[in-house]
Amino acid sequence: MPRKRIINLRSFWWQIAIPVILLILPFIAPSFYVYILALIFVTALLAMSLNLALGYAGIFQFHHAVFYGVGAYTVALMLTKTSLPVWIGFIAGPIVAAALGLVIGWLCVRLTRLYFGMLQIALGSLVWAIVFKWYDFTGGDNGIYGIPLPSILSSLNGTYYFVLIILLICLIVLYLIVNSPFGSTLQAIRDNPGRCAAIGVNVRRHQLICSVIAAFFAGVAGVLFVVLERSVFPDLLFWTFSLELCIMCLLGGWFTFLGPVLGAAIIVVLRTFVGRYTEYWTLILGVTLMLLIFFLPQGVMGYFQERFKPRVKASAEGTQA
Amino acid sequence: MNFLPDISLATLGVQLVVGLSRAMILFIVSAGMSLILGVLRIPNVAHGSLYMIGAFTAFTVAKLFGGGATGFWLALILAPLAVALISLIVERGIFCRLYEREHLMLLLFTFSLMLVFGDLVKLTWGGEFRTVTAPSIFLGSLPVFGLPVPRYNLFLLVAGPLIAIGLWLLMNKTRIGKISRAAAVDREMVGAVGINVSWVFAFAFVIGCYLAGLGGALVAPTVNIALGMDHTIIIEAFLIVIIGGLGNMWGALCGALIFGVTHSFGVLLWPQFAIVFPYIAVIIVLLIRPRGLLKSVW
Amino acid sequence: MMLQVEAVDKEFDGFKAVNGANLTVERGELVAVIGPNGAGKTTLFNLITGQLKPDKGRIIFKGGDIAGLPPYQICKRGIGRSFQVVNLFPRLTVLENVRVSILSQQGRSINLFSPARNLATDKTTNILKSVGLLDNAEATAGALSHGDQKVLEIAMALGSEPELLILDEPTAGMSPEETLATMELIKKLASTRGLTILFCEHDMQVVFSIAQKIMVMYQGRTLIQGKPDEVRSNKEVQGAYLGGSE
Repeated sequence: MPRKRIINLRSFWWQIAIPVILLILPFIAPSFYVYILALIFVTALLAMSLNLALGYAGIFQFHHAVFYGVGAYTVALMLTKTSLPVWIGFIAGPIVAAALGLVIGWLCVRLTRLYFGMLQIALGSLVWAIVFKWYDFTGGDNGIYGIPLPSILSSLNGTYYFVLIILLICLIVLYLIVNSPFGSTLQAIRDNPGRCAAIGVNVRRHQLICSVIAAFFAGVAGVLFVVLERSVFPDLLFWTFSLELCIMCLLGGWFTFLGPVLGAAIIVVLRTFVGRYTEYWTLILGVTLMLLIFFLPQGVMGYFQERFKPRVKASAEGTQA
Repeated sequence: MNFLPDISLATLGVQLVVGLSRAMILFIVSAGMSLILGVLRIPNVAHGSLYMIGAFTAFTVAKLFGGGATGFWLALILAPLAVALISLIVERGIFCRLYEREHLMLLLFTFSLMLVFGDLVKLTWGGEFRTVTAPSIFLGSLPVFGLPVPRYNLFLLVAGPLIAIGLWLLMNKTRIGKISRAAAVDREMVGAVGINVSWVFAFAFVIGCYLAGLGGALVAPTVNIALGMDHTIIIEAFLIVIIGGLGNMWGALCGALIFGVTHSFGVLLWPQFAIVFPYIAVIIVLLIRPRGLLKSVW
Repeated sequence: MMLQVEAVDKEFDGFKAVNGANLTVERGELVAVIGPNGAGKTTLFNLITGQLKPDKGRIIFKGGDIAGLPPYQICKRGIGRSFQVVNLFPRLTVLENVRVSILSQQGRSINLFSPARNLATDKTTNILKSVGLLDNAEATAGALSHGDQKVLEIAMALGSEPELLILDEPTAGMSPEETLATMELIKKLASTRGLTILFCEHDMQVVFSIAQKIMVMYQGRTLIQGKPDEVRSNKEVQGAYLGGSE
């Protein structure tokens, strides 16, 4: 159930402890953990942006990573090829991503469900192919390295706080959107698009707007990626990464607001730590996904929400739309 | 843009033949995916992995039998069978328990299979390139109307239609084939007539995967068999199936031809971005006929 | 004349579901469409509300031809619809179901930033009260009893402030008490909200007790349109339909 709670943790103590820990982390933890957490923030924002389309609106946004990659490449190219101020690059990233979202979205909304997803994969793969092959401009499969950033952001701690602040702002905005009439309408479209049409909702227009907003925030995440890693490469736009994002949303619980954040955190942590012991991280991810599908289809957060619901709702719901 | 003003007819012809023969491989793999999509209504994301397994298995079988002509032909027979067996085990063991769930879950499950298979291939064969040599009769070129065309590509041009005919006969002239086609349109009806729909699904899935393995075995002599083959072929197969019409075998053929030929022209006209040409063709088709060129099964 | 359906045809793969149907509905009327199963009633409704496009014929609503328009535009022109098979937003609450409808009508469905739960509460509670679902406002729609779900269907149609309300088998699957209550509700909606109501039903008791005009469909055609007494005594209708007891 998409109830409008932010945090499902029962205890008040957690709601104080977590923000405090996040704020003082750079001063108490080794820089490796600070880096990982910043990476989690970036990935979490990306997963949240996908979930707006996937979990809330039921749109089969199968190639979301394209907008992320395009946002990242935009900022990377602007910082390395032009001498425009950094902040213009930062703003351009999400805007270009949103523009691409508009073009791709406009082409795709004419189609339903699976076809929407497929056409998006086609268009996204086209963008990937262009980025991959345009060696002179985008660096091809080498990507772009050593992107210059202003000095405030050149330290890990500075980056950490920058990413955290942007993440929080975006989360607040997303929260407002999800609870707005637009958000309600999206959920209604997810549950029953035919009915929505019958009550006067222009379903396609809403889906398009949703797709563009999702693309915008993916672009923001792309900018944050560049700030953190100082580099970009074509893998950011590859379709397998898009499906990984879907896994994050599923893992966390795509009917909950913060589920994707949890999913992103779990995947990033697993990937980093499992990656130290074995080069077969993909195998682990695959098996995890299988287990998830069989045993925990509502995701981790969804599972906890079911367990700790304050009142019992006799519900005839299936798994999801 | 790098237009070559002096493309001779010969170059054009050779590229066309190469494109068509590549299209045959794409057709075989896509037909398999189309079959699965048509009957089970699931895009099998693991299809590319099975193609890759087919190629690697062909390498192993060929090596086992000395690498010559016998090795090649045995590989062509055994590799797809091995892939079919793997798919049968997966289908009966795990997949069939998920049929009651909704499509997005099934799709994600096939994605998880792709991830698992990818790493299992890495585990079994390691990360280096492998090669398979075609039998000597297929090496070198043959002049056709004065143009030198690689013999193996000609072989593919013959093999492709033969496989298409075989598949058509299977789906239209055998009882199980006809039942599968009926199940694609209306599985409940088929169930209501007393047929075990689950086994129909198994049949469609295994045949589809067999084709993926066959495609992999056939393509083995022409490419470097390597990890990552699964990622590229799956997108191509998806798109071909979509532009052809879901579940439609002839649609898969059309789509594959479009894909193969546009890619060849891309190689001639703008080699650096050859890969972009098929995608653009796909987008154009989808804009004009969003449901695909030919009728989809559902 | 509010709604005029003229010589409308709809064919599916050679089968003519609707074959020259005619219907007129005046403002403020309570009109029923009856006919045996397969007569084309739901198809006709789908043609009027835009889920289907007619092959031939015209559908004039308030002077404008609406045939072939997409459903959301037809809704915006003033036609509300409830569905024969319950067609709600199962994961949202009863309140949220109706609110989506109202917000859409108010043109606020693209409002991105105000909290939805504070909007349109008066209107929503108003509608829920008038259909008798106010006590269930916080229940999940998917968990309601079938009868309540059918009433919620009507409530959602009301949310779009229609001038013409089309109800597709509003009492299907209801118990006799629920049927009676829904009948009263329909009568009340017609009188207090000044709604024009077009509905189709199998329950002849409902039809003959509240309809002011009845249109009889048979095999896709209109047999007759007229007052209940005319219809009841018409020989063709008796032969085709009222022969057995419904």
